[in-house]
Amino acid sequence: MSRNLAWFFSAVVMLAVSAPLQALNYEVGGCKTGSSYVNFTTISAAVTGVPAGATIQICPGVYPEQVTITQPLTLKGIASGNANRAVITFNPNGNLAPNVTSVLGLGSAFYAQVLVQNVNPAGSVNFVGITVDGSGINPGGSTNLAGIFYASGTSGTINEVTARNQTAGYFGGFGIWVENGSSTNDTLTIENNSLHNQVGGIWAQVQPPSTLTTTVNGNFLSNIGGNEILIAANSGISGGISGNVVTSSPYGSGPAIFTQGALVVSGNTVADVSEGIGPFFATSVKSNKLSNVGTGIQFQCCEAVPLASNTIMNTVCAIDFYGGASSSGPISGNVINDAQYGFAEWSGPTITGNSLYNVDTIQTTSSPCP
Amino acid sequence: MSRYFGWLFTIVAVSAPLQALNYEVGGCKTGSSYVNFTTISAGVTGVPAGATIQICPGVYPEQVTITQPLTLKGIASGNANRAVITINPNGNLAPNVTSVTFGLPFYAQVLVQNVNPAGPVNIIGITVDGSGDNAGCSAETLAGIFYASSTSGTVNEVTARNQVNGGCGWGIWVENGAASGETITIENSSVHNQGNGSFGNIGFGSGGISASSLSPPTLAATIRGNFFSNTGGDAGLGGPGGDAILSETNGEVSENVITSNPQFATSIFAYCPSVVVSGNTVANNSSGFGIEIYPGCTAESNKLSNVGYAIVAHSYAATTIKSNTIKNTLCGISFGGESNGPISGNTLNDAFYGYANWGGPPIGGNSLYNVDNVQFTTDYCP
Repeated sequence: MSRNLAWFFSAVVMLAVSAPLQALNYEVGGCKTGSSYVNFTTISAAVTGVPAGATIQICPGVYPEQVTITQPLTLKGIASGNANRAVITFNPNGNLAPNVTSVLGLGSAFYAQVLVQNVNPAGSVNFVGITVDGSGINPGGSTNLAGIFYASGTSGTINEVTARNQTAGYFGGFGIWVENGSSTNDTLTIENNSLHNQVGGIWAQVQPPSTLTTTVNGNFLSNIGGNEILIAANSGISGGISGNVVTSSPYGSGPAIFTQGALVVSGNTVADVSEGIGPFFATSVKSNKLSNVGTGIQFQCCEAVPLASNTIMNTVCAIDFYGGASSSGPISGNVINDAQYGFAEWSGPTITGNSLYNVDTIQTTSSPCP
Repeated sequence: MSRYFGWLFTIVAVSAPLQALNYEVGGCKTGSSYVNFTTISAGVTGVPAGATIQICPGVYPEQVTITQPLTLKGIASGNANRAVITINPNGNLAPNVTSVTFGLPFYAQVLVQNVNPAGPVNIIGITVDGSGDNAGCSAETLAGIFYASSTSGTVNEVTARNQVNGGCGWGIWVENGAASGETITIENSSVHNQGNGSFGNIGFGSGGISASSLSPPTLAATIRGNFFSNTGGDAGLGGPGGDAILSETNGEVSENVITSNPQFATSIFAYCPSVVVSGNTVANNSSGFGIEIYPGCTAESNKLSNVGYAIVAHSYAATTIKSNTIKNTLCGISFGGESNGPISGNTLNDAFYGYANWGGPPIGGNSLYNVDNVQFTTDYCP
């Protein structure tokens, strides 16, 4: 009899396991059908219609919608036939009013194409293989534009996404905007994405005393007007920027990679920009490659910023101490080839321990970098 | 007594050559241990074979021909650390060497030729600036550094710039037409502003670094860790092509950073029996080709961003294309036909076409994201 009961219980367990399995497939766009799929016609309908933690497969196609996500889930673009791009675009019939306010007070109204906000229950919101295209969106007035916006108190991973054409907006158009002003520590991983044609590429910031752990890895960015990658806070930020390819910032407003906080900037390639890497506050900068840059690495201030094993070629000022900024961080093992100035705006002692080749003037005190 | 003689010979043999081992051009190093020259040309003929010549910071308006093994090395002095070889405004701009692989007359600013005794010629930390040679394409092709047949050596941490010459200029050109093997390494150099970016002169007309040899290949070239920008055409290559003349090399093109080529140019062109193109970063050639490879070549672990045609495999035979990362491109991998080489482990994100001009079976084993059209069979990437 106890054996019989055991069999009965395991049958119940099987039911409990198999019934949810039937409902685990969620799809938008109609390319996956059958009884194991729950189908939605819009991404907006799906992100509210699935259970927390679900993965939503997005069929190739164009989705002219503004998406707000308020529960943990994964949005995943899939292939169907010969097509493999799901694009979230401007809804020409939609409302251009701002849908989120930045806690940073920086032109604070935003029109976010994809907004992650007030996630309940707590959990990650992840994107894989989705395109967010900002063409045609000009929110006007004092509103900024963002492709993907993670608001305070949200976490997740953005992987193999394309964000493009976020060009309009009051302060600018941003590909990916992440911020935290909440009491929870947010963790964001932004990796392997393609970003281009924005005013800002990947921006992550916190409002102290909030904290944010962010990893920006393996992204390729081009044709971005301002800072291509910006991670900044007076405190509370940690993480790394590594293996990114950051090129062609046409307007030259600020360093292509701008950091402020306890971050490691390593193994990035930066080319065809007016300023390469601008580290503030406790960032360490190592093993990056910089080519065809007006200024290679530009110190902004006064904290110890270790600078090791970077390779800088074809530059006006390889390492620039902006406005006479001092740095007590070790500067060693860097290789500079083909620079007009090796160490610019530098009035400290002679800097040794680096390899210089084809440098017209090794050290100059004159300011600014010409 | 024999012990006494042995001691005497040791002193003489070691100390006398040490006194003569320092050779200098430009006047920044003086003293009895230095032999001083006022020009690099005088230095390269005046030193013994195998010597290292230190070049002081300064401008050297001369055409240099090197015919013995030696090392040219730029050095720092005070606050300066650039020795620049420039076009001599009073000099003869006639061609001084003819390419055996392409039959073209060249004006080489630094020519390595007929090296005797055999041995490497090495160039370290020197700038070669081609500004001022405006003879034009009909007269000659301009090269910053030219290694002619049967010469070997290493070019390291050099800057080659402004070989424009009306559209026909190369930063560094190495070739071999001899039967005996030749090994040349070009690494960690800064190469920029070659040619004038005009379409008609792209091809072998202008570019960053060219390595070519007659068939069968007798040149092993390594092009590694160089940074290129605004080079007129091919920026780093295993042998220039687009021509009926056989041009074949073995070797590698690795860890280079190649950006901002003009439209229609190719960043890495590998026409070769066995060249490995690996670990390079190619960006900002939005209407040009990233890597073009021919049968026997491998393209592996490269990063390509904002490139019109990321990897182009010209072949009906095996080319290996693996573990490359391609983002923001019109055509990810294009074929000049079918390839039976492995195509695996590549990641494409943000491409209008994934596999262009591909009539074979579906290609599996790669990761595609945000690709409008996975496969496209008609000729040419649109």
